[in-house]
Amino acid sequence: MYKCKEIIELTSQNMETSLPWYTRMEMKAHYLMCKTCNRYAQQLQFMNKALGVFEGHVPTENCQLSDDAKQRIAKKMCQVKETAE
Amino acid sequence: MAQQIKTAPENWLSEYGDILYRYALIRVRSEATAEDLVQETLLAGLQAVERFSGKSTVRTWLISILKHKIIDHFRKNRHEITVLNDDETAEDVLAYQFDQQGNWKINLIEWGTPEKSMDNEQFWVAFNECLSRLPQRMADLLLLRAVDGLATEECCELLGFDTDNQLWVTLSRTRVKLRQCLETNWFSKE
Ligand SMILES: [Zn+2]
Repeated sequence: MYKCKEIIELTSQNMETSLPWYTRMEMKAHYLMCKTCNRYAQQLQFMNKALGVFEGHVPTENCQLSDDAKQRIAKKMCQVKETAE
Repeated sequence: MAQQIKTAPENWLSEYGDILYRYALIRVRSEATAEDLVQETLLAGLQAVERFSGKSTVRTWLISILKHKIIDHFRKNRHEITVLNDDETAEDVLAYQFDQQGNWKINLIEWGTPEKSMDNEQFWVAFNECLSRLPQRMADLLLLRAVDGLATEECCELLGFDTDNQLWVTLSRTRVKLRQCLETNWFSKE
């Protein structure tokens, strides 16, 4: 019988590798009995989903390229364009 | 037509520069390195613009180039990764939520339908904030696995884990930390 502390470790590991069927059975049985671990597993699923799309929601306020950097990059881009043409 | 003009290469820097920069900064946590990565990305984009199929948006396309540049950056700099965070991967991350017998000692707040949060830009501010509070190596690991889908072996190599098991244990603790932060900074306030 796994402790809750072990179950949450397995919950994460299950996202990384295929665990043996008997381990997954035990986890399922545990989730049925234990509301907290069940909730934890659902929250990890959600976090994975969010990580999958977070690059589409990058907030940019208070965090912008400096004007210096912009000028430097613009200059480089011009150089590359000229050599390409 | 207007869309095409807007996304012409000469407008990339003004349109997407800040987004690329912010994304790079989340991943590498150094302003100078993030600037370099934005520059490399835009230059690579210019050189590959003929091959841009228009199937995705320019933004998505540029971010995918940036993601490759970031992985290259990790590959090039792997010798610089120092294993400073081992204490943070240790038991104390879990001591807060489990008693000595390994039973829960906290209640997890019900997150309701968290998917709804994904439409809220403020949620993403909190999400990014929580990512930035993770110890660097933990964040690197989580993002290389869950966002870039890098193989476990390669993550071990890039981040200096000796065994798969070590990596899994750290990843689990990273998720514990991120979950706690999201609960504190978003779901308990909602
Ligand atoms: Zn449990």
